[in-house]
Amino acid sequence: MFKVMNATGGYGKTTIIHDVSIQIKPGEIIALLGRNGVGKSTLMRFITGLIPAMAGGVEIDGVKAPAAVTKRARMGLGYVPQGRFVFPRMSVIENIAVAAASNGHDVKKALKEAMDNFPILIPKANDLAGGLSGGQQQILALARALAIKPKILLLDEPTEGVQPSIIDDMAGVLKRVNKEQGISILIAEQNLDFCLSFAERAYVMERGKIVTQMGIDELKGNKVLQQELLGV
Amino acid sequence: MTKSQKCYRLAGLIFPAIAVLCALVAAGMMEPYLAFVATSWIIFGLLGLSLDVVWGRGGLLSLGQTAFYGLGGYFGSVVAINMADLFGNSLLVAIPAGAIFGAMAAAVLGYIIFYSRMGLLQSTILSYTFTLLLWSLTQTFKLEVGNAVIGGDNGLSNIPGVVLSIAPNSESLEPNAVFAAVVLVSAAVYYFTYWLMKSNFGKVIDCIRLDVEKTELLGYDVRKYQLLNFAYSGAVAGIAGALFGLWSNYLNPSIFSVQEALLVPIYVLVGGLGTLAGPFVGACLIGGLSFWLGSGSAGGQTTLMLGVVLILLVLFLKNGIIGALNDIWLRFLPDVNEAAKNSSAVRINVAVLEKILQQAEAQAGPAKELKTDKLLKRFGGVIPVNNVSRIFVPGQPYSLIGPNGAGKSSFLKTCVGIYQPDKGEVFIGSDNVAQMSIFHKVQKGMGVKNQKPQVFSELSVIQNLWIAAFSRTRSEQDAQVVSDEIISMLGLNKHSDVQASALSHGQQQWLDIGMVLCLAPRVVLLDEPAAGMTNEETRELSTLVRTLARYTTVVVVEHDMEFIRTLEGHVTVLHQGEVFAEGDIETLRLNERVLDIYLGRSKHV
Amino acid sequence: MELDYLASVLVSSLSSASILLIATIGLAVVFGLMGVINLAHGEFLMIGAYSALTVTQLGLPYVLSIPVAVLVTMAIGAIVEVLIISRLYGRIFDTMLATWGLSMVLYQLAVLIFGTVSPGIGMPQYNIQIGDYNLAGYPLLMIVVAIAMLVFVYLLMTKTIYGMKARASIQEPEMAQAIGIDSTRTNTLTFAVGCGLAGFAGAVLLPIVPATPSMGFAFVIKSFLTVVVAGPVTLTGSALAAIGLGGGSSITASFMTSVAGDVFFFLVTAIILWLYPLGISAKWRHKL
Repeated sequence: MFKVMNATGGYGKTTIIHDVSIQIKPGEIIALLGRNGVGKSTLMRFITGLIPAMAGGVEIDGVKAPAAVTKRARMGLGYVPQGRFVFPRMSVIENIAVAAASNGHDVKKALKEAMDNFPILIPKANDLAGGLSGGQQQILALARALAIKPKILLLDEPTEGVQPSIIDDMAGVLKRVNKEQGISILIAEQNLDFCLSFAERAYVMERGKIVTQMGIDELKGNKVLQQELLGV
Repeated sequence: MTKSQKCYRLAGLIFPAIAVLCALVAAGMMEPYLAFVATSWIIFGLLGLSLDVVWGRGGLLSLGQTAFYGLGGYFGSVVAINMADLFGNSLLVAIPAGAIFGAMAAAVLGYIIFYSRMGLLQSTILSYTFTLLLWSLTQTFKLEVGNAVIGGDNGLSNIPGVVLSIAPNSESLEPNAVFAAVVLVSAAVYYFTYWLMKSNFGKVIDCIRLDVEKTELLGYDVRKYQLLNFAYSGAVAGIAGALFGLWSNYLNPSIFSVQEALLVPIYVLVGGLGTLAGPFVGACLIGGLSFWLGSGSAGGQTTLMLGVVLILLVLFLKNGIIGALNDIWLRFLPDVNEAAKNSSAVRINVAVLEKILQQAEAQAGPAKELKTDKLLKRFGGVIPVNNVSRIFVPGQPYSLIGPNGAGKSSFLKTCVGIYQPDKGEVFIGSDNVAQMSIFHKVQKGMGVKNQKPQVFSELSVIQNLWIAAFSRTRSEQDAQVVSDEIISMLGLNKHSDVQASALSHGQQQWLDIGMVLCLAPRVVLLDEPAAGMTNEETRELSTLVRTLARYTTVVVVEHDMEFIRTLEGHVTVLHQGEVFAEGDIETLRLNERVLDIYLGRSKHV
Repeated sequence: MELDYLASVLVSSLSSASILLIATIGLAVVFGLMGVINLAHGEFLMIGAYSALTVTQLGLPYVLSIPVAVLVTMAIGAIVEVLIISRLYGRIFDTMLATWGLSMVLYQLAVLIFGTVSPGIGMPQYNIQIGDYNLAGYPLLMIVVAIAMLVFVYLLMTKTIYGMKARASIQEPEMAQAIGIDSTRTNTLTFAVGCGLAGFAGAVLLPIVPATPSMGFAFVIKSFLTVVVAGPVTLTGSALAAIGLGGGSSITASFMTSVAGDVFFFLVTAIILWLYPLGISAKWRHKL
């Protein structure tokens, strides 16, 4: 069980998320919905520890997560940020290898798994990550997050600027690692179709707060509800 | 206002005056040797002041101050040597000569730095290289100018001392009198600098340090201000150099050495960055310390002490001695930001707003249209603005929408000039402004509000508005009238003296919008103005934008569909840098193709 | 012979460029990889030189003194990083001023401990003949040492896990932490490596440049400018900048005067900074 309890945080003096609580069962896929600027990315950064908590905290499998970002990562928190942030002047292989090595995993095995999951990376293996296209960088960021063997994976706008065929690949891999390795996934997205295709439950945020949660079927097909919630 | 507050406000006048009086009294009683040494401390303080002007006020750490100091010193001394036979008073000769030469050298270097819009680090390093270049050049340089022999093994010697009498070849002053003369000259320079930094010029310089982009977006030619400020600092350094030449009667290239160059920031830091008086405190303290240590048993440990002091200052006492005293004093004064704590929601007074907009129209002329013709911007392989040709006219607000990465903000930034267009034209009215600098476009009538609130954090709310208004009116009274009107329109009167940094995020957005209105823009570009605003504030913003659109051309980039619906204007959907669809919001909401790109459905993507 | 003269000038200029590069590599690691301008770099060089000198004075062979110099400077570097540098990341001018203070402290301590003059250690005597010109062998050996250092740093930073962590921590500090890299410790180690390289330089140059408390000044300015001119692709950039600036100024110096050489160095630096404000390698696509 993964829990975020009463998360309150922001930048400097400005509070952006207020008292947000969510729970994710092992192996569950949860969508985090809401318009731009409602605090989805801030919540993600709160969970990773990249912004300090003004109040509240995070619990992984019943253990309270320490404040340090590094320690949280080693407890099994994988993070794919919005904007990817691959290491630009390192090769594709190095991006994945450094993630595996930093968590004491076998580098060769991690690389093989990554290449099996994402064959699109094979021809680019020795290229610098900064020279990849947006979609390829996104895949690399995902492969890097998986290389730490996470228990829970945080995905922030993973389809932004990615072409549809790659989006399909990505959805396939996410479904598979979720099923085979039991990785829980929390995914913040504006691309509704992508979320609807495999999430089970959704939290909806507005102005820094969770305003509602619902089953995914409730949201599917209800265009009025979609428009109202996402402002499209 | 209490006595303490008044005193605080005038501290920069009162305390230096007291210090000058004390120094003059001391000059009459000191041992001549101490007076001789202490004179050099004051000169170094003056050199420190020149750095404080560019660094503490202008925001650029220049390591070229000793270069201007040295050049001013050499030039002033050469002139003094040659004039000694004709005209006695060496101060009247050497000081202007040093000031002019220092200012000219600084202007040349400053032109390269500011007009090529160099980064801060590169500027610092270039100024450092300039000093090193002079240092190595002067090693073997030899030149005879009239009676003066520059360079060679003996350096420049035979520089006359400080002479006040006008008769040729008069005797130079005694050390104590030299000390008093140098104190008086330095005091004059200090008070002039103090006045300059309080003046409108100084206010703009402060704004440039706080946010150079915003200052340019207000229509100020920042490069010109930076260049003038740099040249002024060069003049001050040149004066210090000239005094140094007269004081030591001898100059050699070590004046340009690395050690000298790096001592200057220490004076400034010890005394307090940006305080103007600080460098004198720092120089006297460090000079006094070396004097005392040098004479005692700990002789020669000055370097060690200086090093430790510098490390500790950087780590623990960033604002130096005067800064620390200032912080203590502030604690005993009423908090100017008190009003920010009990803030109420902003409410736009439409009647006042209309009056302001009508006045603006009367003063700045009718609204202008904004037109782009095949505008193109490329970043590597990505083309966020792809051949966009559009015309925006006054009457109703225009909204640009589109999914993330559609190129909305990039289009706006390319129009503004924050991004240089690769191809295509931008017109404001009939002027083609595509290649103009940002400030020039603003002067042509463009008003821009970026996504993040850009306000000058250390300035009060009213000062923020005033500096914006002053950019257009160029008259203090008119700027006061305009900013008073805008502040009451925003309902921020109670917050007038609050520092902008103490305002909430939403209030900073309003202040920023207010600053744009102060410019009486004829074309207004707003990038996500509703971001971070509450529902109530968003409603008020909608009222403001609709009213504004009746008097000017308004283009808004926004994500918030609800907000755009309330604007009741024309909507353009951008996708992959191109115009994808347009019309009013209700039609677009029913358009399946638009929904597809928003929802990421793949049919049309 | 005119041709022999040219060849000997070329070789000795290459050797001066190599000496500059040897002194610069540590700074390149610290500035290029960590964004820290370490104005005390020259003093670390000086510490390396004195460590090596002390070891040889104790009667040990010179070759053994080099690793000692590296260890001593690495240890001091690590302490400095923890006490000072780690508090100032992202504040580039503050780091500059604090390390300037540090350089004064280290300089003065060296004066107190060792005095202002020290005995040199003899340069290994062998010469190389080019036509009529006789060149000392040890300075030429520095070309080999510079290449070896470049290769070592390149391998350390690209082929080891530490190297990958170090680069990741610098390129995207937040993401490095988010994948479990302890960037605090990595940065301490990287700074220590940079200082260790300075120590190595001080020790290996000892036969050419005798240990004095002020020897740091002589190197730090040119090294510093070399690194800034090099830009983000530090290692390759520094090598090129060192050959261009150092070699160029040495050639200028041998045809004109040593001052002309310095003028060449600073003038070319200023022009390059004007033309390439972010350094010559700003647009290259290389790892290091």
